[in-house]
Amino acid sequence: MSGNPIRRVALRNLAAHKVRLALTVLSVVLGTAFITGSFVFTDTLQRTFDDIFGDVAQGVDVRVSTEQYGTSGVPIEAVDQVAALPGVERTSPSIGGGIIVLDSEGAAIQTGGAPAEGYAYIPPDRLVGEPETFVAGGPPAETGQIALNESAAERGDLAIGDSTTVLTISQGMVPVTVSGIYELETDTGGYIGALFTEEQASQLFTDGRHVGFLDVAGDGSLSPEQLRDEIAAALPDLKVQTGAEVTEETKSQVAEALNFLNYFLLAFGAIALLVGTFIIYNTFSMIVAQRLRELALLRAIGASRKQVGRSVTLEAFVVGLIGSIIGIAAGVALAYGLRAALNAADLGLPSGPLQLSPRTVIVALLVGVVVTMISAYAPARRATHVPPVAAMREESTATVESLRIRTIIGVLCAIVGAALVVVGAQQVGGGAAATVGIGAFLLILSVLFAAPALSRPVVNALGAVFARPFGAIGRLARTNATRNPRRTAATAFALTLGLMLVSVIGVFGSSAKASVDALVDNGVEADFMLTGPQMFGVPAPAAEAVRGVDGIEEVVPAYGVQAKIDEDFEFGTGAGGPLQDVLDLDMVAGAFEVTGDEILVSQTSADDHGWEVGSTVPLTSRDGDTVDTTVAGIFADNQLIGPWVVSQQLFEQFTPPNNRSALVVLMNTVDGADPETVRASIEEAVKDYVIVQVLDREQFKGQQAQQIDMLLAILYGLLALAVVIAILGIVNTLALSVVERRREIGMLRAVGMQRAQVRRTIYLESLLIAVFGAVVGVVLGLAFGWAFVRTLADQGLDIISVPWSQVVGMLVASGIIGVLAALWPGQRAAKTPPLEAISDM
Amino acid sequence: MPLHSAPAARAQDLKKIYGTGETAVHALDGVTADFAAGEFTAIMGPSGSGKSTLMHCLAGLDSATSGAVFIGDTDLTTLSDKGMTQLRRDRIGFVFQAFNLVPTLTALENITLPVDIAGRKVDQEWLDTVVTRLGLTDRLGHRPGELSGGQQQRVACARALAGRPEIIFGDEPTGNLDSRSSGEVLSILRAAVDEFDQTVVIVTHDPRAAGYADRVVFLADGRIVDEMREPTAERVLDRMKQFDPASAAPVAE
Repeated sequence: MSGNPIRRVALRNLAAHKVRLALTVLSVVLGTAFITGSFVFTDTLQRTFDDIFGDVAQGVDVRVSTEQYGTSGVPIEAVDQVAALPGVERTSPSIGGGIIVLDSEGAAIQTGGAPAEGYAYIPPDRLVGEPETFVAGGPPAETGQIALNESAAERGDLAIGDSTTVLTISQGMVPVTVSGIYELETDTGGYIGALFTEEQASQLFTDGRHVGFLDVAGDGSLSPEQLRDEIAAALPDLKVQTGAEVTEETKSQVAEALNFLNYFLLAFGAIALLVGTFIIYNTFSMIVAQRLRELALLRAIGASRKQVGRSVTLEAFVVGLIGSIIGIAAGVALAYGLRAALNAADLGLPSGPLQLSPRTVIVALLVGVVVTMISAYAPARRATHVPPVAAMREESTATVESLRIRTIIGVLCAIVGAALVVVGAQQVGGGAAATVGIGAFLLILSVLFAAPALSRPVVNALGAVFARPFGAIGRLARTNATRNPRRTAATAFALTLGLMLVSVIGVFGSSAKASVDALVDNGVEADFMLTGPQMFGVPAPAAEAVRGVDGIEEVVPAYGVQAKIDEDFEFGTGAGGPLQDVLDLDMVAGAFEVTGDEILVSQTSADDHGWEVGSTVPLTSRDGDTVDTTVAGIFADNQLIGPWVVSQQLFEQFTPPNNRSALVVLMNTVDGADPETVRASIEEAVKDYVIVQVLDREQFKGQQAQQIDMLLAILYGLLALAVVIAILGIVNTLALSVVERRREIGMLRAVGMQRAQVRRTIYLESLLIAVFGAVVGVVLGLAFGWAFVRTLADQGLDIISVPWSQVVGMLVASGIIGVLAALWPGQRAAKTPPLEAISDM
Repeated sequence: MPLHSAPAARAQDLKKIYGTGETAVHALDGVTADFAAGEFTAIMGPSGSGKSTLMHCLAGLDSATSGAVFIGDTDLTTLSDKGMTQLRRDRIGFVFQAFNLVPTLTALENITLPVDIAGRKVDQEWLDTVVTRLGLTDRLGHRPGELSGGQQQRVACARALAGRPEIIFGDEPTGNLDSRSSGEVLSILRAAVDEFDQTVVIVTHDPRAAGYADRVVFLADGRIVDEMREPTAERVLDRMKQFDPASAAPVAE
């Protein structure tokens, strides 16, 4: 035991107030758990994607590929050419493409966003790179056999010898038998890799004249760099890289693709830091305020200011350290639970081992310890400047400080912020969004500063509505909630932040859905549509299968076509039939008919490029072929079909067969046909293509809405973490204020307040604080959402929709959250014996 | 007056024991006492004599180990927590040493708090009478933090009187006050008995405070050791001096 009396007092005091200690540690745990949880969650996602994409070129000396994605690939002739070069020992082509594998029940095996690919199996003696290791069976020996990676086989409930179906874009359904199951070092995250024989793979995934890319192994006489230069000289049109370069490039591409995630992580980490800091600071301000007497006593018996300060800091260090360590563990558990919850909701995030990086631990520890120490020291410093006798005598320890300065700063921030948000919302584009972003940041700052001043009128107004029916109880709750505006504001802030983000996302989602709905309502005349999975589309054979179905008049597949006009690649539409019959299109000039080398262009494109009917527009494909097209018509801008429309013939010319899937197949029924009968016929025609869905217009809208919801669900999942932390923060603050008000509650009990009434008071107080936080958050969120959506008007988000039911839901939920958070503190308060009113503290 | 003959509160062989075995402390060791209605009683005794414990038990703030407590005809030992709370609310008034007002409520709101909690309507006429008598009319809108100690204790007295309880208990009601404010508060309690026909029982160690009472009950070591009618401060002080000087309470703060 230390001989230092001050330290002894500090430690004894910690031990004597166990609940207070537990709540203090809890606040640190919550703060650091939030930080750790969000970092672990995002790190894990990133790492999983890295694993899937990162280790792509093991054992490869040189890889020959094409400059552009979406091309036919490397010509067969180039393969022979490379094989003949000196210094080359082996070449192995990569032939592959997107597929969908059906499980033993005939349903598609879900990949959770990871790729599902079919490949040519190259035997080890010819293979460049690491050969597959088979854990059961063997490689595919003949057409119709496939080998699957372990996790895919497991998820599809497929064993050696089982028959199933693989869907490919070019040939639709392909019956296959599982010949083997192989091990994949990085077998995580839903990835499916099906190995076909080389012959079948070429047939399924190429036009027969190309391979995807070519891996080269040298005989050792040349370094990979020399080999690369030699091959590059022989094949000037192709991209030639060493294996290391390929890995580098892939990694950077993955990183780039995950950039959005990183920005999100940053934003989320910042929120985590802010909320965590707030909870810790709030708790410690309360604790130290409660301990003023004790500190004053130490000062009165001769401890120096410095000694007292040091004792508080030491105590905070211990609490911060213990709390952070528990918090890190809790954060890992939180991330684990979050992922489990998201997976249970069938969001299909890739799974992999949880990543707890040193950075996470360091940040969490630093925040936990440093913030705790600062949070404890600041009020303690203030405390030590109060004359000891005054502090000991003080009945109420609340130091009332003026809110004026921070309110003025807050109001200034709010004025500038609101102006920026409104100004930004008048324009579209990235610059406008940035303006809105800065404005939003300033407004959040203004809430930080001005919320205490704001809390009084808002809580009083809310109290007038919610607390009025409870009479004296309601009045007590209301006055309690406004008693310490700083604390109320700080307690509500986490909820404000969380619900603000939820509201922003809500406005985005709702506006996106409304915009899509309007687009479909105004622009689509087709009675039925076929759609397929994203990235896969509707395979060509499925579109063919519905032609000639009874009651169907027109079948028009719409394709995505990528082509270069001037210097930029653009996405246009390939019309597989008379689009004008299934879409509502307005022509500015010419007619909506496109055949051969004709092109239809949108008004905007025509204006931008100075085209008119009859102009020549050169289109260049991914493979580099250029076709001079003639403008046959100009249509009014239409979000559905994009800048231009070309014929099916040109689409096929520009797209390798393994990529020729339709984005959507639009169908018209014959006049007078019974929709239900026609639908049944269509469903019958495509029933084997399990991934193809038959939708009418309403269902199509619903499907689009569902996709938007899926995207939002991930964001909501992360924000749920913020809300959970916010709730626990409220619990903590309430529990502490109950401890603080023991004497007062005892008095209320003594003069006749029933336990149930005490509980009700605390519930109401909590409800008022929570709803206050929610109202501020929702109002800000709706404003930000409105402004951001306006800046995106050119992206098709031209209708702003406020999700009112969600808003109401959030406000109601926040009230419920408030009451739930108050359950435990309320119980504690109700147990306060009336004698507390009399006994000395 | 026949009304005054029945006791407003009664303790019957009341025992309160803290701890067990060797370390057991008998805070109350068989106290039997009546507190007549319409009387002002002061309970006195040295520190540790059990005077506060006796009052807590009488007021339903604490429960005895054995024995019975009656408020009017009600046996407190038979009441649930809820019943006890209701009794405190409707039939008992409190004045605490540390004022114990709700800092966020105004003086008026504090005064009507027990009536409001009960959900009853305030008897406006009675309230006006009490407030006027206690000189609080122009302080009603203030919060406790804006009032002096004496004013706060007067608000606390008004709170105790507002519900017209059967009995008012005071726990060292002048303990935190200067002598002028003490005098005011004691006069109010005296007036409550004389003018409003209330019953008042206070615990105090201030002989001057006891001088305002009709009767003083002396406690030592958990037993009633003496009783004095028509006390004066001097007589009470003399009586107190007879207690073991080592355990005698300080006469003044």
